[in-house]
Amino acid sequence: MAQATNALQFSGHLHLRHRLVLSILSGKAVKIDKIRSEDKNPGLRDYEVSLLRLLERITNGTIIEISVTGTAILLKPGVIAGGLVTHDCPLSRSIGYFLEPVIMLAPFSKKPLQLTLRGITSDDRDLSVDLIRTVTLPQLELFGVSDGLELRIKKRGSPPLGGGEVQYLCPAVKQLKTLNFVERGKVKRIRGISHAVRVNPQFSNRMIEVSRSILNRYIPDIYLYSDVYKGEDSGKSPGYGLSLLAETTTGAIHCAEALSQPGVAPEDIAHLASRALLQEIQNGGCIDSHHQLLVLLFMVLGSEDVGRCRMSEPTTRTIQFLRDVKEAFGITFKIVPAEKGDPTSTELLYSCYGIGYVNANRTLS
Amino acid sequence: MEQQTHKAHRPAHSGAKADKKSKGKDKEKQHGFNEKAFAPKSGRRADRQGRRKVERDQTRLHVPLVDRTPDDQPPPVIVAIVGPPGVGKTTLLKSLVRRYTKQTLNEAKGPITVVSGKKKRITFIECNNDLNSMIDVGKIADLVLLMIDGSYGFEMETFEFLNILQSHGFPKVIGVLTHLDLIKKAATLRATKKALKKRFWTEIYQGAKLFYLSGVINGRYPDNEILNLSRFISVMKFRPLVFRNSHPYLLADRLEDLTPREQIRTSKGKCDRTVTLYGYLRGTNLRPGTKVHVPGVGDLNMKSVAALGDPCPLPDADSEKRRKLSEKKKLLVHAPMSDVGGVVYDKDAVYINVPGSFTRGATDAPQGEGEQMVMDLQDVKSTLEDAVAKSQIRLFGSSSKPLSVQAGPSRLSDASDESEGDEESDAGEGSDSEVASDFDSDESDGDLDEGDYETDEDGAGPSDRGRPSRRNVSRSMQALPSHDRQRGEVDYADSDSDLGGDDDDGALIGGDAGADLPDLPSSDEDADEDSDEEVPRWKSDLASKAQASFAQDVRRNRRRDWTKLIYMTSLSPSEIIASKNASARGAVNDNGMGDEDFFTVVKKADEQAEEEVDTSKAPLDAQQLKAWEDEELLDSLRHLFITGSSASAAPEGADDEAAGSDAEEAEGTDEGDNGAARAAALAKKKELLKRKFDEQYDDPESSKMDFYEEQKDQMARQLELNRAEFEGIDPEARALVEGYRPGTYVRIELENVPCELIENFDPSYPIIVGGLLPSEERFGYLQVRIKRHRWSTKTLKTNDPLIFSMGWRRFQSIPIYSLDDHSIRMRMLKYTPEHMHCYATFYGPVSLPNTGFCALNSVSGELAGFRISATGVVLDIDRSAKIMKKLKLTGVPYKIFKNTAFIKDMFTSALEVAKFEGANIRTVSGLRGQVKKALAKPDGAFRATFEDKILMSDIVFLRAWYSIQPRKFYNPVTSLLLSHKSEWSGMRLTGQVRREEGLKTPTNVNSTYKPVERAPRRFNTLKVPKKLQAALPYASKPKLVKAQHRQTYMQKRAVVLEPEEKKAIALMQQIRALRKDQVARRKGKQEERRAAHRQKLEKEEAKKGEKDKEKRKEYMRAAGMKAKQESAEESGRARKRRKT
Repeated sequence: MAQATNALQFSGHLHLRHRLVLSILSGKAVKIDKIRSEDKNPGLRDYEVSLLRLLERITNGTIIEISVTGTAILLKPGVIAGGLVTHDCPLSRSIGYFLEPVIMLAPFSKKPLQLTLRGITSDDRDLSVDLIRTVTLPQLELFGVSDGLELRIKKRGSPPLGGGEVQYLCPAVKQLKTLNFVERGKVKRIRGISHAVRVNPQFSNRMIEVSRSILNRYIPDIYLYSDVYKGEDSGKSPGYGLSLLAETTTGAIHCAEALSQPGVAPEDIAHLASRALLQEIQNGGCIDSHHQLLVLLFMVLGSEDVGRCRMSEPTTRTIQFLRDVKEAFGITFKIVPAEKGDPTSTELLYSCYGIGYVNANRTLS
Repeated sequence: MEQQTHKAHRPAHSGAKADKKSKGKDKEKQHGFNEKAFAPKSGRRADRQGRRKVERDQTRLHVPLVDRTPDDQPPPVIVAIVGPPGVGKTTLLKSLVRRYTKQTLNEAKGPITVVSGKKKRITFIECNNDLNSMIDVGKIADLVLLMIDGSYGFEMETFEFLNILQSHGFPKVIGVLTHLDLIKKAATLRATKKALKKRFWTEIYQGAKLFYLSGVINGRYPDNEILNLSRFISVMKFRPLVFRNSHPYLLADRLEDLTPREQIRTSKGKCDRTVTLYGYLRGTNLRPGTKVHVPGVGDLNMKSVAALGDPCPLPDADSEKRRKLSEKKKLLVHAPMSDVGGVVYDKDAVYINVPGSFTRGATDAPQGEGEQMVMDLQDVKSTLEDAVAKSQIRLFGSSSKPLSVQAGPSRLSDASDESEGDEESDAGEGSDSEVASDFDSDESDGDLDEGDYETDEDGAGPSDRGRPSRRNVSRSMQALPSHDRQRGEVDYADSDSDLGGDDDDGALIGGDAGADLPDLPSSDEDADEDSDEEVPRWKSDLASKAQASFAQDVRRNRRRDWTKLIYMTSLSPSEIIASKNASARGAVNDNGMGDEDFFTVVKKADEQAEEEVDTSKAPLDAQQLKAWEDEELLDSLRHLFITGSSASAAPEGADDEAAGSDAEEAEGTDEGDNGAARAAALAKKKELLKRKFDEQYDDPESSKMDFYEEQKDQMARQLELNRAEFEGIDPEARALVEGYRPGTYVRIELENVPCELIENFDPSYPIIVGGLLPSEERFGYLQVRIKRHRWSTKTLKTNDPLIFSMGWRRFQSIPIYSLDDHSIRMRMLKYTPEHMHCYATFYGPVSLPNTGFCALNSVSGELAGFRISATGVVLDIDRSAKIMKKLKLTGVPYKIFKNTAFIKDMFTSALEVAKFEGANIRTVSGLRGQVKKALAKPDGAFRATFEDKILMSDIVFLRAWYSIQPRKFYNPVTSLLLSHKSEWSGMRLTGQVRREEGLKTPTNVNSTYKPVERAPRRFNTLKVPKKLQAALPYASKPKLVKAQHRQTYMQKRAVVLEPEEKKAIALMQQIRALRKDQVARRKGKQEERRAAHRQKLEKEEAKKGEKDKEKRKEYMRAAGMKAKQESAEESGRARKRRKT
């Protein structure tokens, strides 16, 4: 009979998402214990349970066992099924939290995924749907996931009450292309979306104005769209924010965003966003620091060739992710300074040998 | 000797020769392609020629496949020798080995590796007649020498093997006809060759190579024929096969049992074993931690993998400048399971065969490998301990100075105590290569020794091995301890108050800031107080400082080896980041993973964990971002934009996109603002443009590649990149990153191997280690497209167990056959259809879609028929199956109204009826209807309506679909674990079990056949009551007429004839009588004649029969004699044959 494959063992509530993703992709069961076991409020949070439920829904045959106290879970992954799925996200986290693991899984599903998520579209913990649409999805295109890839923002919803809705469409691919992205290029254009719901539409224009005042010195090719949703589509709470992205000549995209906080003027929000963008540009690399995980994962899953990518220094999440990848797939990255001659550069060159991951779920017709 | 003078040549000045010469001289010699010679004669012909050329070009093309075998050290090509028993496989193997190595094998067992050329090695393997072996060999062989007995013809095994090959990716096949010397007549020989070739070609492809070997001389085939065959083998080109190109695998040529003897003894040999397998890696890179499947054994975990020295190395470049292989190299042969060189490796022992009498002194006599080994062992002068003490351990591969063990034993022991944890984790990685000692070289001496040695090593030099890492990195960190500390000082991330000590920042880069360090905290404090007053100064200075700090940060980071930090330390990620940002007190120096540091940081991390949330966006730090208010800092970023201020870069911005990546690369370098560099870059760019222009100007077509070329080019580039990326790294780190490359000779240690593998080990059965992809470790329901083989005599039945050979695995499972029913549902089939594909769904280990497989009913050798029952391909993998079985529910009406009827016997309860309300039903006669509602009284009866009135005799039925799941049954074929390997039998059919147990099939009384008695149907006469008859109109009245019992009119009348009439009638009567008599007489006579003739014939027949009988007797006597002779001959050759 079926032998139990050696399960992955982790502890702690952090990095839950990518661990679940790795488990589902590698097919190994994952056991996570000590989830906030020392906390006053121990166990899984509602959004984590909701995430597990979402993953269960987009897969077939997944078995999730949560201990009585909620401090340990066991996930035995099934196959990624895809198809038409609708999910209501809790208001404790934004849609970005749920969309991020789904984006990692969706290309390997049996059928193209059509996922509708309802909840908060942007908050200051996770990537807003604007950035996912404008930055994350182009990263997928680097790996050959492009036809039919789309994120539709139907309704916007700001915290705390949400009420937004997005639809994510992703095709199923057979195998990812190997990435070889070492030329950073120079920033050739800056784009941005400044959105405002249930507040004065002028807020968005004020943000644009301030942001332009900072960024105009570098480049004239700046378009900042004012995106104001009204009525039904604007969710249940007021809010606004600015998402910026800078694209280079080679197609590398850097992004930053800032969202409304109580008692902060829109001008300050715009300042924050613009400066964060500059910081991001200064950090360098071909991949934005928010998307290191996604790109590294897809490099691992690429064909059995060497994939290379230039990035800034790893973040905490990235470091843990690299370790977990080693456990799940046995893949180690080679990380060396990108420019040996230039001492001022912090950029690193990540290279790895792909495992030749083939979408086994896809049906042959 | 005296110089002999020859008469000088004098060219002819006249005559034909001179004419010829001069003519040749005058005429300009044609160079290259002669346009005219091949010019078409007409337009149509030109058109046809062009079309033909294009078509021919297209047939050349194949789907481009990446060949992942390395060019420099490719693994040996596996040449399998396959054929029915007695066909001459061993003879061929011995002949080939003799041809390559000039050695005669007594006993050829297991794989034999020889060097066949300067860049080529061959592993020969003989495949025995077991179907399991044939399947396994078919999966790994690169070239198959398919042996056929020419005097007999094709046998069943040959076709079975070809079918196995077809379903697992077809390797190259060369046919070899043997026993041709048994055919004496030249004409018969020619005809046989032709017939066999024709059949062979239809089986493989038109023009497949078929080799003829004549008789055996000295127990070998004739040398010149073998030489020819070896030439064919050496020029063979191999196209990568998809499955093998995506899986690592290894053909084990040696097996050793590492289980402790004591454990085996206590468990009476029944404990699970730890086994090492040796062999050349093939396919793709083998990563440690991959799960492997050993066909015939099962899925196993690799405990460790180690690259070993090549036992059969290719000649290296410097020794082999010649075109041909030197004779010395020709002697190399690696066959641990055979008796080459007097050494036989058994499963747990090495036997050394010493020919003749052995004396120690005779060193000039040629020594075998084994002898040499024993003598070396005898020569050892020092104990193991001494050897360890003397051995030089180098910390890093390139360290110039080795560590000396004796230096400080006490210190080392301390260190070992402290860093035990580290050691344990790293022991696997760092065991072999770090120690350059004599003992490593001969891996063949007992593994016990090796084990001992390793443990010694651990004790001796633990500190060296605690943290295996790359040399350059750690040393550089050591060299620059000050940078770590300074960094915190100028970290603008801390707060905007670092100015106190920053005035002498210039010195920081100089690196003497060590003196500042102790003051740092206080200076920070000061700064806090001072900051308000000194704002202008702070602001003016900020950009430069920020940049300096950035630069310094960078410099420091450059020393950080991220690979090491991430993979080889136990620091948590936040600690790593924290250590980057840490201030001086962090003291993260080179030995940063020291204990103190470790503990302090952990505490911090614990505190943080409280409020830590899993976010993908770092919170924006407004304070930190304030730095960007500064104009200079803002300006410092300009060079990152296409409008950048950098003088040279500015105008190029627009061109960049067009110029492509190369141009950008060129541009990237002139970032340094170095004049020379810029000039060089410009020159490079110009050169590039010039080349591009030239290309386009000279031949615009040539630069444009078609799709095929482009793909191939891309693959070549990627392969080049693969090679180049990890070139310089030391082998161990390289193995960590990319795994062990194909072509390396590795030792794989497997855990928990069933003891039967060792106990029943037989080297003539190949042992394969096949790597599994992550998805292939899983189990699920596989949907496959399957077709019963046209030669298989049995139809396959749903729910009968079937043995599949799929991927590396051979296993038994229970399939359910189905067909797609109008794309609505998968409809279950009870039997596979004839001559048609159908689907099958079964539970088993996942294989990627598009993997081919073949299926068998049994692997046993006793079966006479064709054993491959089906072939197919994997389509889909899922965790559930959706197969529907048709279910017909029948019922009968018990009361019929007009269009409504009450039906019973279809369901047993009202609940069931409720479930089927509104369902369509039908009568046998075709009347359609609907289930309406359950009735109260008989349980399960319901009211139904039909489109017309049904009859009481009608049967009503309801067509329903019932979903069925395949049984979760998976039984790997563990043939290698048996002592009689071909006798594996998995789950048997019920019938088989009954037959073998001698049980009778239980019969249902109702199922027995009884004679059908059909009484002739009698119809009663229709009686219409008189009253009714009377009432009926005439037309409807039964027209019953009584039989006439009175005489008719004519009967009643007497006929009186006239005399003439009487006369005429009498005359007519007489004439008729005469005629009758005449005919009768004539017939009698004819009969007489006939009887006479018959008698005559009978006589003749009897005579003839006698002659025939005699003839037959003669013939049978001759035939009997012949048969007797033949049977005597047959028993002499004693060969088992099955007719195809």
